[in-house]
Amino acid sequence: MSSISGISNGSPAATDMQRLRRAAVHEPFGRIVGKYLFGLSLALVPFGLLFNDYYSINILTFVYLMAGLACAWNIIGGFGGQFSLAHGVFFAAGAYIPAQFYLKYGVSPWLTAPAAAAVVATAAVLISWPTFRLRGPFFAIATMALNEVAAVLANYSDSLTGGARGLLIPFKASFSHMIFVERWKYCALMFAFMALTLAVVVVIRQSRLGYYLLAVREDEDSARASGVNVLAVKLWGMGISAALTSVGGTLFAMFIRFLDPPTLLSLPDIGVKFALLSLIGGIGTVWGPVLGAFFIIPAENFIRASLGGLPGAHLVVLGLLLMLAALFLKKGIVGAAAALWRRVRATP
Amino acid sequence: MENLFTILFIGLWLGGIYGLVSIGLTLIFGVIRITNFAHGEVLMVGMYGTYLAYSWLGLNPYLAVVVVVPVMFVFGVLIQRVLMQPLLDEPLMQMFASFGLLMFLQNLVLMLTRGASLGIPSSGRADNLSIAGINLSLGHVLAFVASTVIVIALHFFLRHTMMGKAIRAVTQDKRAAATMGINVNRIYRLTFGLGTAITGVASVFLTPIYTLSPSIGGDFVLAAFAVVVLGGMGSIWGAYFAGLIIGVTEAAAGFYIDPALKSAVWFLIFIIVLIVRPSGLLGTVGAEEVGLREQH
Amino acid sequence: MRMHKWLFALSTVCALYSTATLAADPIKIGEINPFSGPLAKYGLELSRGHELAIDEINAKGGLLGRKVEMITGDATNPQQAIATVDQLANRDKVNLFSGTYMSPVSAAASDAAQRYNLLYWETIATAQELTERGLPNFVRTGPNAASYAIEAVAAINNLIAGAYGKKPGDLKIWIEHEDLSFGTSIADTLKTLLEKEGVKPIGVSAHSFKAIDLNDTVLRIKQGNPDLLIEIGYVPDGNLLLRNLRSQGYKIPGIMYLVTGDAPETLEAVGADALEGLLVVSYPRTNLPNTFSPGGDHYLAAYRAKYKQEPAATLGMTAYAGMQMLFDAVTAANSTDPDKVRAAAAKMDKPLGSYPGGYGVKFDSNFQNTRALPVVVQWQSGVPVTVFPKEAASAGVALKNFPRR
Repeated sequence: MSSISGISNGSPAATDMQRLRRAAVHEPFGRIVGKYLFGLSLALVPFGLLFNDYYSINILTFVYLMAGLACAWNIIGGFGGQFSLAHGVFFAAGAYIPAQFYLKYGVSPWLTAPAAAAVVATAAVLISWPTFRLRGPFFAIATMALNEVAAVLANYSDSLTGGARGLLIPFKASFSHMIFVERWKYCALMFAFMALTLAVVVVIRQSRLGYYLLAVREDEDSARASGVNVLAVKLWGMGISAALTSVGGTLFAMFIRFLDPPTLLSLPDIGVKFALLSLIGGIGTVWGPVLGAFFIIPAENFIRASLGGLPGAHLVVLGLLLMLAALFLKKGIVGAAAALWRRVRATP
Repeated sequence: MENLFTILFIGLWLGGIYGLVSIGLTLIFGVIRITNFAHGEVLMVGMYGTYLAYSWLGLNPYLAVVVVVPVMFVFGVLIQRVLMQPLLDEPLMQMFASFGLLMFLQNLVLMLTRGASLGIPSSGRADNLSIAGINLSLGHVLAFVASTVIVIALHFFLRHTMMGKAIRAVTQDKRAAATMGINVNRIYRLTFGLGTAITGVASVFLTPIYTLSPSIGGDFVLAAFAVVVLGGMGSIWGAYFAGLIIGVTEAAAGFYIDPALKSAVWFLIFIIVLIVRPSGLLGTVGAEEVGLREQH
Repeated sequence: MRMHKWLFALSTVCALYSTATLAADPIKIGEINPFSGPLAKYGLELSRGHELAIDEINAKGGLLGRKVEMITGDATNPQQAIATVDQLANRDKVNLFSGTYMSPVSAAASDAAQRYNLLYWETIATAQELTERGLPNFVRTGPNAASYAIEAVAAINNLIAGAYGKKPGDLKIWIEHEDLSFGTSIADTLKTLLEKEGVKPIGVSAHSFKAIDLNDTVLRIKQGNPDLLIEIGYVPDGNLLLRNLRSQGYKIPGIMYLVTGDAPETLEAVGADALEGLLVVSYPRTNLPNTFSPGGDHYLAAYRAKYKQEPAATLGMTAYAGMQMLFDAVTAANSTDPDKVRAAAAKMDKPLGSYPGGYGVKFDSNFQNTRALPVVVQWQSGVPVTVFPKEAASAGVALKNFPRR
């Protein structure tokens, strides 16, 4: 019998794993890069078209940001199958920490963003270490509880987060402040963030970590029996996901420049949104979260604008959409498109 | 010393409320293994339904039980049939679906009421009781009594009626139950309906105490999850006692530490329980793992 | 002869036509409020107040000879605020902005408006930071958080202490507030002002406005045994606190609510008996005497005529007055440019009682109107009656059942 950790020692089970891995994920490097660049350039088209339409540029900025954040969530939520509702906490931490360093000591967010990401990733790993013993809904509930505790604490501690009144970052435009006069510069920044998270996602998908994450999602016990260190895989996924989410939080902070617990830690607006976008786009796929963001966020704004006078109407629609997607569109837009493509190709 | 007793009583009635709200949730989870994140909104719908029964039909809120509970039962059956049953083997999708339901219900009520604050007018002085020198309100005492009655009735139902035994059979092993001729899907629908109906009872007892708003469900749902987890997923007596424990803890924390921190206090307890003993007080060890595994 | 008549008629028509085209370039005001979401009804009420003032000035020939038009923009959070401002500024080319029911929305929207160098004339949002952050396009006409604290202290000094037969410094005061920015900022200011007067509150305690039980809070207050309880919160927690107080059988001699507590929903929730004697510091109402609040009845009549219902919230009249102040400032500046309007506003000096609601105009260096104070009402037999300041109280009105014995 192969030992539990005998993945690469040439034992029969290990060779099977290696063969499977190669078959499952092997794609020529050139093709991967090609698809990545192609997808990015498609995503860039609206930017070029809407450059001068200020309202649309704002929405596009938010689309790029949420696409990146959804991609980050997808690493642990989609690939790893761990429904985390704690990502709002990572987002908020990534917003508060650089904001405070900027406000109190004048340190540029460009410097503090990666540092904060590292801190948040470490904290995420430490918090999830015990929490990952829980499966499925229990894990979701525990992470939801974490979000609530963070909201209460953020509200309570004036010195750390500005408490209930929050933090106001005054407008002093400069590149080093990450504060810009022109809206399109923010849009470009968010696009870069999305490109970064997508690159990480693509790399993970092609790597062993990605393969293990998928294995854990499919059947955690079998994965463990095959010798995958399930806990390590989950922690890595969570750490990377948290780090990227934190960076998104920093960008959000310098864009909106108004931070308070309701804005950052609201589950329906932030925590659940990441998951929602991933689901509708195609959970566990590379491009799903991006498509989800491109579809949902403009739609949400459009519905809110047209049904404006009726309070809550647009969220009724969104809720309905979410239920329908869970029932009928499980593979998301990506899955539906793939199925359609297969059917088209299959017809003689 | 007098304070201690008052806190204890406050905690007990609060625990009664928590128990009422959580028993339905734990039943649904214990049997069907679904986490319904929209549970708070189901409670909220029941509360607005009670208000409607009062304002349209002129019913005394407590009498509205007769109307609200059957309607909630049907509502629960519908949710199970339409939303949850198709997703039985897909827990991730269930969670998404229940979040969708949450957003849908909350905002539907917002849309229909246009954000107006509704509340059943208070009858004034008739409300107060004084037991052993401790002051309580009738509404609170009734809620505690209702909670106790319900858990006892449910216990009897599950132990001694055919239907109840069928439910327990499905909980233990749905395949075996199916081979015994039990229609599993029907049991699931019945259970969801029952859990929702019990939540309907909770709504009726809560409506006279609070000013309603579409988001009021959210104020209860996190506490409900904490109670369910602490008590043990699927254990109704667990939910009842855990409710009391959390109620007393919350009241004590609010009084002795700081009211602003009280929800953080019991949340932390809840997280610790989840990590140290996820099966809760009265749940079977390993139950938290069974949740996702298909019963083969 | 007939030719002359025709010529005359023709020239009159031409003259009329040319004056009509002169006023064709309207002044557009971008109105930012939550129009969707749970606070929509307040956002709507606010904009109605603005709209009535706009109708009024258009009937009088417009502002700077131009018709005034309101273009609404919905925003329920800071991101939406930025997007909406961008849209109104670029697509609709508004000349200035006004608003706003939510302080976070106001903060983000006014900041975004500054990018376009457009004035942001705030009539309602109360957070202190809005006028303390030094934004060069921002002006606030309505009360801010501190105004409530100021009025509360004035009431304590001039109305309440006397009713107790004590000196203010001897009053035992407990401050209870909801724990978000709204309650916290007012509570902090109140505490500071009281301490400056040598009145140290015996307790300051926070609670969540979403709490499902406040009995533990009630017990703490009971331990402190205050003469006066001051509560700053929203409707849900305000109502719950009163209910819990009643169920505990705890009759505090005097209770004063700040900002909320005077609406019908509270009466419904708690009953006239439990409310009897409760003081509330809130926006001025439409039934104040004309000597104190000129034009209040005009607002009420216009509201009823246009919207076919009673005003839904008291903030409408304060918004209405605030918009009138804008028109006065713009007229004085002869421009909508933010610097010019602010310069003209800085010179404005109108005493209390110049506008509906009893407001005056005198901006401080932060462009906060210092003559915008709420009033104090007392629940008497299920009706909120204005009792303070004296000028706002109708003839024959007096404090009743206060303190309770």
